[in-house]
Amino acid sequence: MFLVVAGLLVWSMIRYRRRGDELPPQIHGNNKLELTWTLIPLLLVIVLFVVTIQGQNKALQRSTRPALEVDVLAFQWSWRFAYEGQGVEVVGSPGNVPELVVPVGQPVRIRLRSADVVHSFYVPRTLFKRQAIPGRTTEFDLTFEKVGTYQGHCVQFCGLAHDDMLFRVRVVSPGEFRSWLAQASRSGSPSQPGT
Amino acid sequence: MATTEIPLPALPEAHEERAGLVDYLITVDHKKIGVLYIFTAFAVFLFGGVLALLFRLELAQPGMQVMGQNTYNQLFTIHGTVMVLLFAAQVSTGLGNYLMPLQIGAADVAFPRLNAMSYWLYLFGTLVLLSSFFVAGGPAASGWTAYPPLSDSKYLQGTGMDLWIIGLALAGIAAIVGAVNLVTTIFRMRVPGMTMFRMPLFTWGILVNQLIILFAFPAITAALAMLFIDRNFGAAFFDPTRGGTPVLYQHLFWFFGHPEVYIVILPMFGIISEIVPVFSRKPLFGYRAMVFAFFGIAALSFGVWAHHMFTTDAIYLPFFSLLTMLIAVPTGIKIFNWIGTMWGGSISFTTPMLCAIAFIFVFLVGGITGVFLGSTPIDFQVNDTYYVVAHFHYVMVAALLFAMFGGFYFWFPKMTGRLLSERLGKWHFWLLFIGFNVTFFVQFNLGLEGMPRRIADYPIRSWGTYNTISTVGSFVMALGILVFLWNFFVSLRRGRPAGDDPWEGNSLEWVTTSPPPHHNFHEIPEIHSERPAFDHRHRAATEADAR
Repeated sequence: MFLVVAGLLVWSMIRYRRRGDELPPQIHGNNKLELTWTLIPLLLVIVLFVVTIQGQNKALQRSTRPALEVDVLAFQWSWRFAYEGQGVEVVGSPGNVPELVVPVGQPVRIRLRSADVVHSFYVPRTLFKRQAIPGRTTEFDLTFEKVGTYQGHCVQFCGLAHDDMLFRVRVVSPGEFRSWLAQASRSGSPSQPGT
Repeated sequence: MATTEIPLPALPEAHEERAGLVDYLITVDHKKIGVLYIFTAFAVFLFGGVLALLFRLELAQPGMQVMGQNTYNQLFTIHGTVMVLLFAAQVSTGLGNYLMPLQIGAADVAFPRLNAMSYWLYLFGTLVLLSSFFVAGGPAASGWTAYPPLSDSKYLQGTGMDLWIIGLALAGIAAIVGAVNLVTTIFRMRVPGMTMFRMPLFTWGILVNQLIILFAFPAITAALAMLFIDRNFGAAFFDPTRGGTPVLYQHLFWFFGHPEVYIVILPMFGIISEIVPVFSRKPLFGYRAMVFAFFGIAALSFGVWAHHMFTTDAIYLPFFSLLTMLIAVPTGIKIFNWIGTMWGGSISFTTPMLCAIAFIFVFLVGGITGVFLGSTPIDFQVNDTYYVVAHFHYVMVAALLFAMFGGFYFWFPKMTGRLLSERLGKWHFWLLFIGFNVTFFVQFNLGLEGMPRRIADYPIRSWGTYNTISTVGSFVMALGILVFLWNFFVSLRRGRPAGDDPWEGNSLEWVTTSPPPHHNFHEIPEIHSERPAFDHRHRAATEADAR
């Protein structure tokens, strides 16, 4: 789209630069042409909208049986991850980045809340974010397809140390996850310092 | 057939001596008020620009080098606030104030005193907001969106936030009052023969822009009042711990906030629609379609606000997504019609025309990236990242600046009787164009990589390269602005005399003297089309043809 329109623009700049002093033909418009360049964008918009709805349904799809449910509490200026029914809790602070450990390839239900102001939960790798609004609880599912450690941020400006409100997601194999969980619940929560 | 005498009110002998400071302080003349608006808005722009340079320095490298977190947060808050609300929304009111009455052949606006009041409210609103730099705790650090509960007194104490609210509320009232005046002027003060469909596109742009102000500013003014009451008198409109709803503020804010984009940009569309035909020597292609596109955009602009709230999980997504994308249609019509105007024309590349072409280019980038933002799954990824920052700077900064400067180069001769230097103008243009694209294009990449906006520091070191490039670009832009200031001051004193009609203009202001007399016109030609000045100039030729 951009190339076509920019191309037309550049072409008319070069082709119709001023060469003489005579007045060019005084054309006021062309209804057919104008109708065309109304309808084509309209069609493009409709196509994009259909694709959008499909993508949106995929992004917001929720599993009937998530492998894991995590209660995420956002606060100024860090996060608390509570593994529901497991008695495991990870609490961070601005200088101490908390880590969310999850199993690979399985849907994780995130239950997001805020303790104070509006925050936003965002892991760029998941292509997804959601505001944590005080007084509301919001739920969504994330599935991490690859083992690894991913950066997460708060992306809704939330005051002084907003830029320190980081977290990490460590995606591990299901076996590794089970042993981590067992160890974490044994060692007692709140726990799990980051770095 | 010569010119027709238009009955003008009896006027005292014209005072043609130079206007002094006192004249400007007590004036009710729309041209002087227009100049006051433009100067004030431009001063705010320079101030906001300096703030941006400061925090671009901080962002150039990872780690904190130049300032602390709190200062950083205050700077980007005030930068966003003054740029969007006290510069962008006001400079078009200034240009409209000066030019619109001239374009419709009126001697002044409908309510000259109200006009003056509107300007002074705006000025003092701005000063109140800026005075927060001198209070304990400094200015607001809430982001220009000031979402509660963060902006509530529980989290942001100090008078800075209150001064921010009061200043904006004053400017909001000024805008509403000004809109009543300008809309009335356009409906009631047109010279006989100037039918609605003969009005220049800039006047149409001002009309639709002021109509949007009339509907959108009350929402923000109400939101500000509620926030102020929450902060100072313990109401709980937005306090979730006492039954209030933070989401309500987001609705009110963006019900104003998105139309605000069109408040800023529609008059700029108008400017481009004036410049392109003049320097292509053709009439505007599809005049009526351009007018209808204005109204299409204005109507849609009130149905898209919640696309700023896609990630709240508190709205119905498809509705706002579809309406957002639909705005591309009337906007596309405009872009195609500008190219249609250039097509087959005889184009001269003066500085105003270069600015107009740059406008079309950057608006294309801003517009296309905007359509994708309207797509919810894409928005889930890039919302609140540098992608959004880049997108709205293409629309709200680049497009605005190129149209505004194009307008300055175009109408400066009318306002002063002298031309701005074309040589310096070209330097200004290229520095700004290159500087802008260097600054903001890389930010699309940063956003796609997930860099959040409004962070004083970033945890990922590889983002440093793009940020350094961006900072260098911002200083190139600043250099371009300095060239413009130099051009302005030199040309004001020693610029080439312009005459009444240096560009062979189309609209009525090119018929009167430069600068126009106090009552605007000594005589007005009969109006037969949307190009009265063109008809006036070519009448001799046309009559010869007829014979």
